[in-house]
Amino acid sequence: MTLDWSIVWEYREDLLHGVLLTIALTVITMIVAIPGGIILAMMRLSRSRILSTISLCFVELFRNLPLILVVYWAFYVMPIVLGIQIAAFETGLIALCLNVSAYNGETFRAGINSIREGQVNAGLALGMSRWQVMREIVIPQATRRVLPVLASTWVSLFKDTSLVSVIAVGELAHVALQIRSQTFRVMEMLTAMAVIYWLLGYPQAKLVDWIHSKFKVAE
Amino acid sequence: MRPCVTAQDRATERDQRGCLLEFDFSPVVDSWRYLLDGVGISLMLSVWTMLGSLALGAAVGLGRVYGSAWLRVPLVFYIDTMRSIPVLVVLVWIYFAMPLLTGLNLSPFWSAAVALSLHIAAYVAEIIRAGIQSVREGQTRAGLALGMSTAQVVRVIVLPQALVRMLPAFGSIVSVTIKDTAIASVIAVPELLRRSETLAGQSFRPIEVFTAAMLIYFLLLVPATRLIDLLYRRVAHLGRS
Repeated sequence: MTLDWSIVWEYREDLLHGVLLTIALTVITMIVAIPGGIILAMMRLSRSRILSTISLCFVELFRNLPLILVVYWAFYVMPIVLGIQIAAFETGLIALCLNVSAYNGETFRAGINSIREGQVNAGLALGMSRWQVMREIVIPQATRRVLPVLASTWVSLFKDTSLVSVIAVGELAHVALQIRSQTFRVMEMLTAMAVIYWLLGYPQAKLVDWIHSKFKVAE
Repeated sequence: MRPCVTAQDRATERDQRGCLLEFDFSPVVDSWRYLLDGVGISLMLSVWTMLGSLALGAAVGLGRVYGSAWLRVPLVFYIDTMRSIPVLVVLVWIYFAMPLLTGLNLSPFWSAAVALSLHIAAYVAEIIRAGIQSVREGQTRAGLALGMSTAQVVRVIVLPQALVRMLPAFGSIVSVTIKDTAIASVIAVPELLRRSETLAGQSFRPIEVFTAAMLIYFLLLVPATRLIDLLYRRVAHLGRS
């Protein structure tokens, strides 16, 4: 088998464009999914039965579905049901946001619940309002526990953006697979794709390990 | 640029929507056997992936904790690599590129089983390492002081406790595995998602078919994770020390 690695350099601009879209998808999804997760957690912990049930259903649904199916669903079903045309990029983005918001919702809920009830009661007994207790006592501590989990979710999200390639969003996986089918340089392109993902993902995975060790909670 | 939408366009669009929103689940009902076979393939793929990733993950995890220093370097590299590249990339590489390299042609099903196992084994290895390290060091030293060999300490003292503590994490591995098998549709493994796509294309009923697929996956995944949670609650006391 003869290998011709120059093909990777030849298509560098396309690949770079794919990398940028992958990063854009990751960043935008997280920007949407953090407030989304906070809202879901607030709904879940609110005293309203209806809000907490809605949040529970949303979170359980999207945590128990393969992301790739959600991508297909968003692509085929959503435009018909909502009656609007949505570009592939936005469709992929919506699917990712639904998925990651559900995970973040669960992360924030667990973070808030991890603060012992006694601390809240103590705050209330001192005459603080519920909101003050949240802001002064619960959130600062919960943040330290939530941050490592969010970091792990970030890396998963970065990897999961490859799945929106099935609806022809031109991110790294889609670009590389396209070049592979145009040039028949299968080995070179697929290996290059794996290496590029590794170069991007490995530092992130290591950073996550560092965050985990830095924010380790010792009670 | 999107063209301007006139009121008439909107009206026709609404008419079309009106037609399309009359749900017709008959394609799903008529092809239930086709979809059920897909569920069977999804589950078979999940079972083989679980077995493969447990075997490989256990070897890598134990090697990382108890192996010599030179063994740890490649194992850690393997784990971190799998943690940093998407499973889709592993899958297409194994299916399209590996045959060119080795001359070994695997069917889509077995390519998917190998690729998913390779990927998930890294997570299994991390779970096993965390489980083992959660058993306090003093217990290992006590065992060694009593004259037990390392293998005996691991088998008799560490693993029985560690395995119980790993159960919740394995529950999420089961769920991840079933979800990841859907990605095998990309290399044309005829599992549930692939068959749903085909059926949606043939029947022009994507809403009904994909919604049915969602329901099936949901009904597969929720009991799988719940069962493991229940099992854990029954045996959690065995893991305390």
